[in-house]
Amino acid sequence: MWRQLGRSLAVREGPGSPVVLRAGLKKYVLPPDYSGVTLPERTKLKFMDKVPAVPKVRREPRRLRDIRGPSGEATEFTQGQYGILALGGGYLHWGHFEMMRLTIGRCMDPKTMFAVWRVPAPYKPITRKSLGHRMGGGKGPIDHYVTAVKSGRLVVEVGGRCEFGEVKHFLARVAGKLPFPAAAVSRDTLQRMREEEEEKQLNNQNPWTFERIATANMLGMRKYLSPYDLRFKGRYWGKFFLQHRV
Amino acid sequence: MAALSGGGPWRRGWLPALQVVRHASKAVTRHWKAMHFQRQKLMAVTEYLAPKPPIPEQCLPPKKEVVEEEDGYVRLLRRQVAEAFRDNRMIVVCQYNPMPNEDMLLMRHYLRKHNIEVKFFLNEIVRPVLSQSKYKNLLPLFVGRNIVLVSPETKAKEMLRVLRGVPQINLLGACIDDTILSKKGVENFAKLPSLEASQGQTVGALALLPSQTCSLLQRGPVRLAALLDEYIRQLQAGASPSQSSEAH
Repeated sequence: MWRQLGRSLAVREGPGSPVVLRAGLKKYVLPPDYSGVTLPERTKLKFMDKVPAVPKVRREPRRLRDIRGPSGEATEFTQGQYGILALGGGYLHWGHFEMMRLTIGRCMDPKTMFAVWRVPAPYKPITRKSLGHRMGGGKGPIDHYVTAVKSGRLVVEVGGRCEFGEVKHFLARVAGKLPFPAAAVSRDTLQRMREEEEEKQLNNQNPWTFERIATANMLGMRKYLSPYDLRFKGRYWGKFFLQHRV
Repeated sequence: MAALSGGGPWRRGWLPALQVVRHASKAVTRHWKAMHFQRQKLMAVTEYLAPKPPIPEQCLPPKKEVVEEEDGYVRLLRRQVAEAFRDNRMIVVCQYNPMPNEDMLLMRHYLRKHNIEVKFFLNEIVRPVLSQSKYKNLLPLFVGRNIVLVSPETKAKEMLRVLRGVPQINLLGACIDDTILSKKGVENFAKLPSLEASQGQTVGALALLPSQTCSLLQRGPVRLAALLDEYIRQLQAGASPSQSSEAH
C-alpha cells in the first residue's frame, strides 16, 4: 500500500520536489459474525399509545408495590444484543416513551440495527384532582397513564449488525433521562454483572448476613423488618435497589 | 421444630406462616424513606466485606522499586540535545507561541539561509541533560513551550532581523561563545562589528604609531640625503659650466 507521506514533509520539500512514497502493511481484524442476525420488518421503535384502548376506564388504587423489589419479567434478552437495564423502580409515562423512541430512532441506523420495546404501553391510570379544586369530593378523574417498571427490568432492546460501542452512547444518554437509575448493558455485561453479584455473595467475608439475621430473628430484629425483607434480603428499600449490598 | 434440626446452627430461623398485613403506613413511597434506627444498624452490620488476599500485604516481600527502563528513543533525544549544545557556538532560547504552520516554515527557511537551525526540544529531555552540563545556568529558561535556535556561527544580527518579523517567538536568552546573554545583551552583541573588522581596525591603529615613529626617525636622514643629492646636483651643474667655460 503506497501512500503519500504527511503534509509537513511535502511542504518542507517544496512543491517541485518528488513525492515521497512509503510502503506499509496493514493488519485488519476480522469483523464480528452477524450471519445469524435477522432484522424485523420495522426496525425502529413502535409508537406507544398515550391511553390504552379499553372501553371502560376504571380508577385504580395506587398499588405502589408494583415498583417495589426485583422484576420478575423481562430480565433476559430476547431478540436484541444491547439494552437499557432499570436499576430501580419507577413509573414511565408517555413522555418518557416518546423521548426514548425519538432519541433511539434518531441515533440508530435503521438499515443495520433494530430496537424493540420490553415494556408495555402505559396501562396504569393515575388520577389527579383538577387545578384549583377543593379537597374532598371523592377520587379525581384519570389524568394520565403510566407503566410500572421494577428494578432489573430491560426497558428497550437494541440489536442488529452493530457493536456495543456504536449504541452505548445513545443508550446511556437515554438511560440518564429515565425516572429511575438505569444503565446501558449488553448481553455480556449483564452476564458479567450477574456473575459478579453471585461471586460477591459466595465470597462475602461478613458472617452476619442480612438473611441470616432476619431469618433467625436475632435480637428480635424482625420487629423492625417487614415480611418483604425476608424475600428481598435487604437489597431493596422501597423502589430503590441497593446495588452495593449482597 | 423442623427448622431447628436442618442446616447449620445459624439457619435456625423460622419463616412466619401467617403474615400480618399492616395498615399503618405505606411500605413503599416514591422517595427515600428513612429507616428505623435499629434497621440502619442492621444494614451497617451486614455490609459486604470483600475477601482478603490469601497473604496479607504486610507479609509479602517488599515490592522492588521499579527501575525505569531507559527508553531508546529518550536516549536518542538526549544525545541530540547534547550534540546540539556541544557543536554550536550560538544557542538561543526562545518562547514559542502557537503560530501558523506556514509562518513557521518560512521562518525556518530564512534562518537556515544564515545557517541557524530551529530545534524543538522537550523540556523533560533538556532538563536532565543541561543540569549535568556546563549550561546549568540556562535551566530557568526552559519552562513552558520553548524552541532553541542553534548555529555554529554567531550571526546574532541576522537572527534578530528574522525574529523581528515573527511576533509569536520571543527571545528569552542566549548563550553565545559560552557567555550567557539576556535579550538586551544579544541586541548589544548584534550591534558589534564583526570580529575580522575589529581586528583589522586594531591592527591598523597599532600599526599607525610605529609607522609614524619610523617616518619621524627617517625624516632627518632622508632630508640629509635629499640635501646632499641637491648639493651634488648643484656641484655637477657648477662644474659643467666651468668645464664648458674651460673648454671655451
